[in-house]
Amino acid sequence: MSDFARQQGEFQRGILSGDDSILAEILDSPKETRATLFGVYRYAYGSRLVEAMRNDHELLHRYLGDETFDDMGHAYVKARPSEHPNLRWFSQGLPDFLRSNEPYSNHLVLADLAALEKALNDAFDAVEGAVLALEAMAGFAPEQWNDLVFTPHPSAARIDLSTNAAAIWMALKDEETPSEAQTLGEPSRLLIWRQDTTPMFRELPTEEAMMWDEAANGIPFGVLCEMLATYDDPDGAAARGASYLHGWITAGLLTAASVPT
Amino acid sequence: MNVASRLPSPTARAEPIRSAKPPFLGFGLGLRAQHYDDILSGNPPIDWFEVISENYMLPGGQPLRVLDQICARYPVVMHGVSLSIASTAPPNFEYLQGLKDLAHRVQPKWVSDHLCWTGVHGKNLHDLLPIPYTEEALDHVVSRVQLVQDFLGRALVLENVSTYVQFNNSEMTEWEFLSELSRRSGCWLLFDINNVYVSAFNHGYDPLTFLNGIPADRVVQFHMAGHSHMGTHIIDTHDHPVCEDVWDLYVAALKRFGRVSTMIERDDNIPPLDELMLEVNRTREIAEAVLPAGALPR
Repeated sequence: MSDFARQQGEFQRGILSGDDSILAEILDSPKETRATLFGVYRYAYGSRLVEAMRNDHELLHRYLGDETFDDMGHAYVKARPSEHPNLRWFSQGLPDFLRSNEPYSNHLVLADLAALEKALNDAFDAVEGAVLALEAMAGFAPEQWNDLVFTPHPSAARIDLSTNAAAIWMALKDEETPSEAQTLGEPSRLLIWRQDTTPMFRELPTEEAMMWDEAANGIPFGVLCEMLATYDDPDGAAARGASYLHGWITAGLLTAASVPT
Repeated sequence: MNVASRLPSPTARAEPIRSAKPPFLGFGLGLRAQHYDDILSGNPPIDWFEVISENYMLPGGQPLRVLDQICARYPVVMHGVSLSIASTAPPNFEYLQGLKDLAHRVQPKWVSDHLCWTGVHGKNLHDLLPIPYTEEALDHVVSRVQLVQDFLGRALVLENVSTYVQFNNSEMTEWEFLSELSRRSGCWLLFDINNVYVSAFNHGYDPLTFLNGIPADRVVQFHMAGHSHMGTHIIDTHDHPVCEDVWDLYVAALKRFGRVSTMIERDDNIPPLDELMLEVNRTREIAEAVLPAGALPR
């Protein structure tokens, strides 16, 4: 290893772990000690990353308040140092961190709020994709509909939350006092996507969530309707399927419909 | 990743890239999301914009759509913060490919970053970290600049950073290092006037010595920014207006380097666009007063 490489390793260790060895290789300034000057880098490291987390998780920050959020942020910075050159991706692991580390894991709503904000952030700058127009569906003959498969918009994603985090998110967004966090009997099934430039989410009924997940797996419309028939009134399954599909298309959730050849 | 497969054949060109000096763009501003609407709806009279490369190294969405619109209306320069050109870690070709793809989209007048490193051993500290000014470091950075320039197919522009510490093994001054780096690698220099002021204060030297030690023909851009004075040292925070001492140093820089594309860089505590326009206009007014008649295009 070159001396330059060794020195960079020492410098980084001094920032990440508080090791002072590097101080032997730097100079006092005319007006300040080397320890204070090196401390500028130490302080900037943590504060810059926590500031990035505040930007990415604005409503989790609002929910926790400055002090608790920053304590959590510094714990995350210490546990998961950045490995990506772009700060945009630094807080991607936050939902998992909150789900798997005490004391945060004792409050599942925190991981859920982080997961919802992460999904919205991901939708915001997701890959561009065409938006399927309702008129395009007129091009399919009635006998083709059973075989239709659908391509979700690249920004679309599904998450399941075990708490009422979605309602808390809405209240925080509207600057209202959120209701108390609760664990739900049935998970809250959310669909997140970007409409033009705006990230959106909506909660899905259980059968619509099932239909979306299976459609995203390439299951054709006819089979989707048969699956819907197992959830509720079998005679109305096709109408319900068509209604959900109509909603997806008008919301800009699909890029294409096609009949496999 | 097969590194060799990403690089031109070693027989293709032994000399570093020697590109023509980038054009004079006038007086510009750093593009920030807070000003997107005002810029797109008002077409303010700003000569050019500098964009932070990493802010647009994204899959899609609003930032890239806005960037496309800005590029259609204004000259744009790409300015990165994560190239880590002085790192002793292996080059990150995934990052470089992303940078190259963005440059293909933006068609910038030039691509710049900083003479610094941001991490080693797979970590990224997201800071502009200092280096010792040694022959060993110079050899390393020259070879790294040449590699990146070959990969991108264009000369880089590198900026002097604000530093808070100096290494006891340095063998030359920062300005000697920058001058030699530019001469040997063919990279151009982004002369950050605020950073010169900050580093000079922090290390107790005269900023004019730094300024006069930089070869005049290698500087293609000035940065102007504000900082936070801590009494015994200054931190480069970009959260204040440009201070009067830095305006004075700008006058000295104009006298030494002549007309140079200049921009106001503000990253925190960002004021309305009109307020930053006053600073942009001041860069122009001072240049008009200092430079010989006819030096600036009408």
